[in-house]
Amino acid sequence: MAATFRFLEDIALADSAFEARGSTPSELFRAAAQAVIVTMVAPETVAPRLTKSILRQDRSLQNLLFDWLADIVYLKDAEGLVFRDVTCTVGQNHAGGDWQLDGTLTGEPIDPARHELRADVKAITKHRYEARQDYGGWIATVVMDI
Amino acid sequence: MNLQTHMAVNRITDQIWEIPAAEKPGMLVPARIYATEKILTSMDSGVFEQITNVACLPGIRRYALCMPDGHWGYGFPIGGGAAFDRDTGVISPGGVGYDVNCGMRLIRTDLTLADVAPRLELLMTELFRRVPAGVGSRGFVRANRHEFDEVMRKGARWCIERGYGWHHDLERIEEQGGIPGADPSKISDYAVERGIHQLGTLGSGNHYLEVQVAADDRIFDRPAAAALGITGRDQIVVMVHCGSRGFGHQVASDYLTVFEKAMRRHGITVKDQQLACAPFRSQEGQDYFSAMNCAANSAFANRQVITHQIREVFSAVFGTSAESLGMEIVYDVAHNIAKVERYPEGELVVHRKGSTRAFGPGRPELPEIYRRTGQPVICGGSMETGSYVLVGTDRAMQETFGSTMHGSGRTMSRAQAKRSVRGEQLQQQMARRGIIVKAVSMSGLAEEAGFAYKNISDVVEAVDLAGITKKVAELRPIGNIKG
Repeated sequence: MAATFRFLEDIALADSAFEARGSTPSELFRAAAQAVIVTMVAPETVAPRLTKSILRQDRSLQNLLFDWLADIVYLKDAEGLVFRDVTCTVGQNHAGGDWQLDGTLTGEPIDPARHELRADVKAITKHRYEARQDYGGWIATVVMDI
Repeated sequence: MNLQTHMAVNRITDQIWEIPAAEKPGMLVPARIYATEKILTSMDSGVFEQITNVACLPGIRRYALCMPDGHWGYGFPIGGGAAFDRDTGVISPGGVGYDVNCGMRLIRTDLTLADVAPRLELLMTELFRRVPAGVGSRGFVRANRHEFDEVMRKGARWCIERGYGWHHDLERIEEQGGIPGADPSKISDYAVERGIHQLGTLGSGNHYLEVQVAADDRIFDRPAAAALGITGRDQIVVMVHCGSRGFGHQVASDYLTVFEKAMRRHGITVKDQQLACAPFRSQEGQDYFSAMNCAANSAFANRQVITHQIREVFSAVFGTSAESLGMEIVYDVAHNIAKVERYPEGELVVHRKGSTRAFGPGRPELPEIYRRTGQPVICGGSMETGSYVLVGTDRAMQETFGSTMHGSGRTMSRAQAKRSVRGEQLQQQMARRGIIVKAVSMSGLAEEAGFAYKNISDVVEAVDLAGITKKVAELRPIGNIKG
């Protein structure tokens, strides 16, 4: 299974929800990040001019994903950045240990003249939020406040 | 009657419906929905589920309330309201909303449609240039951390001290534009960093700045309209809908996490994680209240800076001062907030989430100019259909903790709206109907198409018939700015 996402219409009428999947936690995190990114901007209109490195760890994979996605929203507001690409590695040093994220976001400062801007994601919410191992890999459901 | 719920919904009057407390385990009070039968049957299942979840929260008094613009939200439904005992009840970010003090401001002018029509394109272009909107937009006000702390404490007053407004603007803003008790030490650096560049920005989603017309035949209560400065005769007014931007959202997110832990400590369970709450009197409850007031004050400041920009643009386009154009604020109302208010039961923590305060005549909180009419209530419709000004009533004080509707309420998902119309197509259609739209995002524009919302006139009719607010005037859009 590759990193994929699809938007869900029956969860949040006034906002936006998606389901992300990956065969590994790394793929899940990449798919979910891509869903947040494309909600805000058409990534093909963003140039790869700078990178932001994000290192995080948490006991809970679910919390780690939440914070990773919230970081993208934070960087949009605090630093005025939108992104084109995402790479990330997520894993545990040992079974039962903390989950660790080493992620890189590639993009540039927002430029309304060049970027096809879409919705302003204002928060990643806890409504129906989950990230878990599924039979075929890893799956997350995320609702974004627009 | 075919409703999106299996729970019993009993008719109390033609506009009041009640779900008895026996319908869900844990309900402490009944839930009451204000709606006509037509609106009630169109409400999504989330409304019924969520308003009955609210009825389970500790310390709730009388009823959990939902207004006719109600639809699914996070925790509380949008259009939801509830009052909790100050000593034994809770406070919940889910009852305030992520966008703390999202609200409406209405500015009147002495201009008429005949004055504005020839310069409308230029006016909208300049407003679009001077009032930033859309993803990641930044305002012209540069504040350092110390100054932003002052914004949190003082709200709109901070702006006026810097020349962004008139001193008497304050009396025409709920809470005079600054809620006491805001404590910046309760705010995370993360929240400040998200918000410090956003003063004077609209945001996106359903937020907008709209130039509107008050036509003579759409004035329903002429004395009240006159008291509000609404003269009719194709008068031009300007409406602003926005809130505390990324700052308020981060405050809500931060305290939802705090409250998840606090609930375990206080032995509170809730039906929905997004209803995370803490006793109002607890340290966590007081911390959130202080932080929420910081965000609320930043929203008042945000709308004040936008007002300054609007006045500057009108002044430049029409070649005279904003004062001589009569550009007074009619009123500014919060529709996402929790406040301590006095009712016969005592002091209550009233949550309004997509619901507007609607104090009736005589309340001491109202400015002298509105003591006789009742508080102005500003309700935004979709960008295609129009908006309304109403006034609060004694009945709202008796029945709904002085609360009423806030807008029209969505009925269609954003994705479905985008499938139904393209942004450029909608922009052209609206131009043909005499509404100039400037939008940062064409997909965002399509999401806000009028058909994605309930008919606001139906919603207004419901609260007017119920008597919890009285309609004063309908305002028709001629120019709209969206993120």
